[in-house]
Amino acid sequence: MTTAPPKKLSLKERYTLMTRDLAWDTTYQPMSKVYPQVGYEGIKIHDWNRWEDPFRLTMDAYWKYQAEKERKLYAILDAFNQNNGHLTVTDARYINVLKLYLGSTPPLELMAARGFTNMGRQMVGAGPRVACLMQAVDEYRHFQTQIHSVSNYNKYYNGLDEFAHQQSRMWYLSDGKSFFDDAITAGPFEFMVAIGFAFEYVLTNILFVPFISGAAYNGDLAAMTVGFSAQSDEARHMTLGLECIKFLLEQDPDNLPIVQRWIDKWTWRGTRKLGAVGMMMDYMLPKRIMSFKEAWEIYFEQNGSALFNDLARYGIKVPACFSQTVVEKEHVSHQSWIGFYMKSRAMSFHTWVPGPEELDWLSEKYPNTFDRFYRPTLEHWDKMEKQGKRFVNNTQPMNCQCCLNTIKYNEPDDPMSTCFRESVYKGEKFHFCSDHCKAIFDHEPEKYVQAYISSHQALQGNCAPEGVDVTANDFDPARYMNDFWRLDPRATGDFNGSDDQKNFAAWRAQATTN
Amino acid sequence: MSHELTIEPLGRTIQVEEGQTILDASLRAGIHLPHACGQGYCATCKISVTDGEVDHGNASNFALMDYEREEGRALACCATLLADTTIEADVEADADARDIPVRDVSGTVTRIENLTPSIKGVWIELDANTPLEFQAGQYINFHFAPEVGQRAFSPANAPGAPLLELHVRLVPGGRGTQWIHQELKAGDRVQLSGPYGRFFVRKSAHLPSIFMAGGSGLSGPRSMILDLLAEGSLLPIVLVHGARNASELYYREDFEELARQHANFTYVPVLSDEPPDSGWKGRRQFVHEAAREHFAGDFRGHKAYLCGPPLMIEACIATLMQGRLFERDIYTEKFFSAADAQQVRSPLFKRV
Repeated sequence: MTTAPPKKLSLKERYTLMTRDLAWDTTYQPMSKVYPQVGYEGIKIHDWNRWEDPFRLTMDAYWKYQAEKERKLYAILDAFNQNNGHLTVTDARYINVLKLYLGSTPPLELMAARGFTNMGRQMVGAGPRVACLMQAVDEYRHFQTQIHSVSNYNKYYNGLDEFAHQQSRMWYLSDGKSFFDDAITAGPFEFMVAIGFAFEYVLTNILFVPFISGAAYNGDLAAMTVGFSAQSDEARHMTLGLECIKFLLEQDPDNLPIVQRWIDKWTWRGTRKLGAVGMMMDYMLPKRIMSFKEAWEIYFEQNGSALFNDLARYGIKVPACFSQTVVEKEHVSHQSWIGFYMKSRAMSFHTWVPGPEELDWLSEKYPNTFDRFYRPTLEHWDKMEKQGKRFVNNTQPMNCQCCLNTIKYNEPDDPMSTCFRESVYKGEKFHFCSDHCKAIFDHEPEKYVQAYISSHQALQGNCAPEGVDVTANDFDPARYMNDFWRLDPRATGDFNGSDDQKNFAAWRAQATTN
Repeated sequence: MSHELTIEPLGRTIQVEEGQTILDASLRAGIHLPHACGQGYCATCKISVTDGEVDHGNASNFALMDYEREEGRALACCATLLADTTIEADVEADADARDIPVRDVSGTVTRIENLTPSIKGVWIELDANTPLEFQAGQYINFHFAPEVGQRAFSPANAPGAPLLELHVRLVPGGRGTQWIHQELKAGDRVQLSGPYGRFFVRKSAHLPSIFMAGGSGLSGPRSMILDLLAEGSLLPIVLVHGARNASELYYREDFEELARQHANFTYVPVLSDEPPDSGWKGRRQFVHEAAREHFAGDFRGHKAYLCGPPLMIEACIATLMQGRLFERDIYTEKFFSAADAQQVRSPLFKRV
């Protein structure tokens, strides 16, 4: 008797045996008690088996693959550090990109790791649980590798050492913190739409372009490698977010309006988060890649439109904010930079007026707005600085109660006036930067009244050390802020005349002359 | 020099040109391999090379590790072939695909008839030594003079019928269809190859079928319906056939006769641009509107087969999805052209 050799398992069969086949339905306790969070957002799921695993990676292969990535990454980081790689970057101004990006992002990666760990617990289907577990480990890895890549710079440059303390206190880090706090305290499906879809799919390229390409263009092999290593995980994250949206929309028609609201909300929240990224691209990278406007057109308008065209088949409409972002792409990076420039005493990175060639580049990239609205301000400030009167704004900023950005953006139809919105909730007035942020607040006011706004905390006396009488008539809230933030004075102020500028020049001279 | 690529577990073999990536060749052959970035960064398109040899091109060292290269992994979006090669990809075998090998056949035109002012019917008797096997709904390539190349047509006859029947719409400015309309005549010899494509009835699902056809896109669905009825299928079958006006609607009497003979077959003709005073008593709508009305907006529990111009297909897909029928149950005849590959599309859908 002859027996046929057993047929080789297909990738799908192998994956099924190693994941879904290892799960079981509970019998001692009802499944609804074991997975208590999946119901309360109003999302209806009828059949978890309809979840299609967007990638078929088993845990054993995952460990092996990620371990190899780590070995490779740390070999490159070590070589970079040993060879004084920090002196190969284009210009010491570049290091301020790292201070801002790598000062704000690792804690957010950690929040993403926590969020996906919770998703891995809450999702009922075994497929999404495994995918969320992997993404949680990925996010934790990104958190660690980013800190490791910046730690070498921390030995030489100011302002990199207190990011963990500053994350929950510093005014300009609160927009990112608020984004992830909002997501992680939402229900599981909203979290998946917020992070898996809006962040990982719609917006991630605009984050990666300035970071990875910016690092590559500016000679930072370490940050570039960290970026590539992280990006090799991103495709998995994007497909998870997309599959989640499809699954929600296909499971029940009642899910459509809920998902639509989340897409509207998180596309806008993500857009606001990217204002500072635009500023990195247009102002902070000494060697530029492309303008923020160009990046927005390629990655958001073109690719985003392609996605929303496809989602239209399900009845999803283009997010309400889409047209406003198209108008704002010509303004946000300039308004962000101007906003940061004047708060230079309250930040742990430096700002500066771009050089004449850089101003010309901005004029060329922003023919409709730069010369008309922004160049005159920057040239005026340049003159003031040369007269020894560097412009500084010492007042407390006003923040949007929803996105936590300082209120500095213009009315959508009028570049010359600032956009203010307000809502009254339980007799108290709350302020917003835009119609979209106001709408998000109005839908869930109880959530957003809790926002931590640094300037409010200062005025309420919550940032002064113990023993200070914060009710005294002469109480000066600003006096205690730098200590509260643990702000290194060497890291503040203009780049011109900074320690970083002098040290970099001296070290580079040592490395290149006798 | 081109090489042959065999894709497991489908067991299909395709030609890959010199310098062409595995992903590009597969998509053009109608085989969807998972992919995302298309430039070697993301590893979504990772495959196993089980035989043969590939060049890894620009695959990133993080997306495709050294140890993976040694284990025979590759990224389809970057890999080109150095020899005839077999890969295993993350695609599912289709229980209904018969995977009939492609062959070259020749025959003689026996009859040409005007079906409508813009569509000709061409009947071909294949040479006895080159019969053509195909699954109803698949297409064949019609070979013209070398400077014109080849064009795809779906046979309108059921498999096994004595004559091959093609419906050829005159494409404005189209060299191939102009030649058929103006030069081809009975008695001429023709060269064909096939069958191609993944457009066929998913009989194993045992579900009612909806056919949505526009203009000469009727040919494939006609073959599929004739095949189903000939097999004695008793599952409900609905054909919605759209044409611009009454003169462009063809085979109406045939389908009305079929509907009389088969209680499970329903025929819904629809005209989108018929003059209001013409005496046409049927529907004046687009195909997707007629289908939505006929099914009262609920398509659940069906398989849908779409064949027609791109705008019609797009409108029908949206209508089906809003009527709760999704990608896994929708099939279209889709040709990937160079223009499609350059079009910005999201990775939300794979086949439709």
